[in-house]
Amino acid sequence: MTRKRSEQINLSRMRKHFSPKPLAIGVASVFLAACTGNRQEATIYTTPEDCAKENPEQAQVCETAYQEALAEAERTGPKYNTERDCESEFGPNQCRQVERSSGSFFMPFMAGYMLSNLLSPNRYQYQPMFTSYSPYSPYRYRWIGAGGYDYGSLGKRNHKVSPDAFKPKPAVTRTIKRGGFGSSVRAKSSWGSRSGSKGGWGG
Amino acid sequence: MFRIPSDPRKNWQQKAKDFGFSFHSMYGEPYWDESAYYQFNLQQIENDLEDPSVEIHQMCLQVVDKVVNNDALLSAFKIPEDFWQGVKDSWRKQDPSLYSRLDFAYDGSGPAKLYENNADTPTSLYESGFWQWLWLQDLVDGNQLSRQADQFNSLQEKLIARIDEIAKHYQTEHIHFACCQDTIEDRGTVQYLQDCAAESGLHAPFVFIEDIGLGESGRFTDLKNNQIDTLFKLYPWEFMQREEFGDFVESSQTNWIEPLWKSILSNKALMPMLWKMFKGHPNLLPAYFEDELHLCDHQRIVKKPIFSREGANVSILEKGQEIIHADGPYGEEGFIYQAFHPLPKFDNNYTLIGSWLVNDKAAGISVREDTSLITQDMSRYLPHIILG
Repeated sequence: MTRKRSEQINLSRMRKHFSPKPLAIGVASVFLAACTGNRQEATIYTTPEDCAKENPEQAQVCETAYQEALAEAERTGPKYNTERDCESEFGPNQCRQVERSSGSFFMPFMAGYMLSNLLSPNRYQYQPMFTSYSPYSPYRYRWIGAGGYDYGSLGKRNHKVSPDAFKPKPAVTRTIKRGGFGSSVRAKSSWGSRSGSKGGWGG
Repeated sequence: MFRIPSDPRKNWQQKAKDFGFSFHSMYGEPYWDESAYYQFNLQQIENDLEDPSVEIHQMCLQVVDKVVNNDALLSAFKIPEDFWQGVKDSWRKQDPSLYSRLDFAYDGSGPAKLYENNADTPTSLYESGFWQWLWLQDLVDGNQLSRQADQFNSLQEKLIARIDEIAKHYQTEHIHFACCQDTIEDRGTVQYLQDCAAESGLHAPFVFIEDIGLGESGRFTDLKNNQIDTLFKLYPWEFMQREEFGDFVESSQTNWIEPLWKSILSNKALMPMLWKMFKGHPNLLPAYFEDELHLCDHQRIVKKPIFSREGANVSILEKGQEIIHADGPYGEEGFIYQAFHPLPKFDNNYTLIGSWLVNDKAAGISVREDTSLITQDMSRYLPHIILG
């Protein structure tokens, strides 16, 4: 007989508050498995020259990946309205102005790039890296990915990372304006007798 | 189809807490009610609800195809003129849809009658796809219900698969999810869809509708200034089209879930249009636009705003006199009229069936009860089973 309901539902995904013992054990072992398996080697270089020095045969890949990482840095890196905001996070003289037709914004210089699979020219992977010299920033002297992931101190060059580290990051842009959606709700909510209902704008 | 009293699970409230089902009671009134359930047989489910839902969905798509190509109809559907091209484009490109809920009056025999199509922002999804599933599982495990008992509810399975298809269609690994502030029910529905997306292996960040920003790149942004490429919004198109950021709906190049063409289906003008195109169909009630009211010779008719949520501003007229009316803030865009067909009554409750579709596949039902003939958002949700 074919069932007319979902065969299986992943209950641990659906649980929002962890119940005591048994589940916690289940979850911990899942995480453990996720951490040990499937990691790949990656190295952070500061410049293409830095990369080529260690991989003389791969100098061309070092250069191409660097250019690609620069473009990715501009797409996914943090962006600020003012130089001051940017410098307070990344340190004095660590930011540059980017001009666009619609205006300009400030973003930190790419401090390095993380490379993996360098020896296979068609499958090498890269991600831009940032760092901060600001005494006010938790990122000071740390390697930071575009998504804010902390890869450890600047001295540490060789990493074992999950393949997720090289997945494309969402593009970041400077937000000009917020609050352009939601006005209908404000108008209709002020309508009195809705206050007794459980609300919601679905149906 | 029977309404059968049932003992609530002893621990259900703790369980609701563990699973984050926080809107089971609102303002002291029960919303989730497991003191009874509805029992259907397989024929009722398959012949009277599942098959007609699939068929009506196809009829609705034919309505979309007709309306997008006819400016007079776009105007009758109160789609703002600035959006006509966008609606046409999204239909021409066949932008993928996620889900919808058809509301039916059905008493266990005869054709189910379609009240309306919630095709843009349907809620009670979590209660249907997950919570009533868990209820059945618990009652079967606890020997309160036969192992033969089943449920028409493959919603979660189908949602996970469909979200995955949509992500692949748009070649993305990120889908943003949004609803309005201060509505715990909507937030719960959206959290559920985020969980389904995560189960498909996607990143599923959340942003409140009111917090959405417009980026310098022309794209919408979340609070972290990340660009929003694909957005599920539990927020009606008819609102968005009339708000400040409505001007950027198309230029932002966002992949919208539901897509723009859904604004034709989540619109009560659909009902008279279906009746025009498929007059006499057993699952349809006669329905008329305001200027066709002279064609309507029914004693009792229901007057519904073109846009409204949860029964607001619906009234029932007898020989032109209003006999029942639900208040609300809607109606400025006009009304449609539908022949009155009462909800069936089970133990003093008026019962409404919601039939879910994930894209074009029937995916389950939900049962809601109200003490009034007009089902509103304080109605109660009851689980159901299939047996026999």
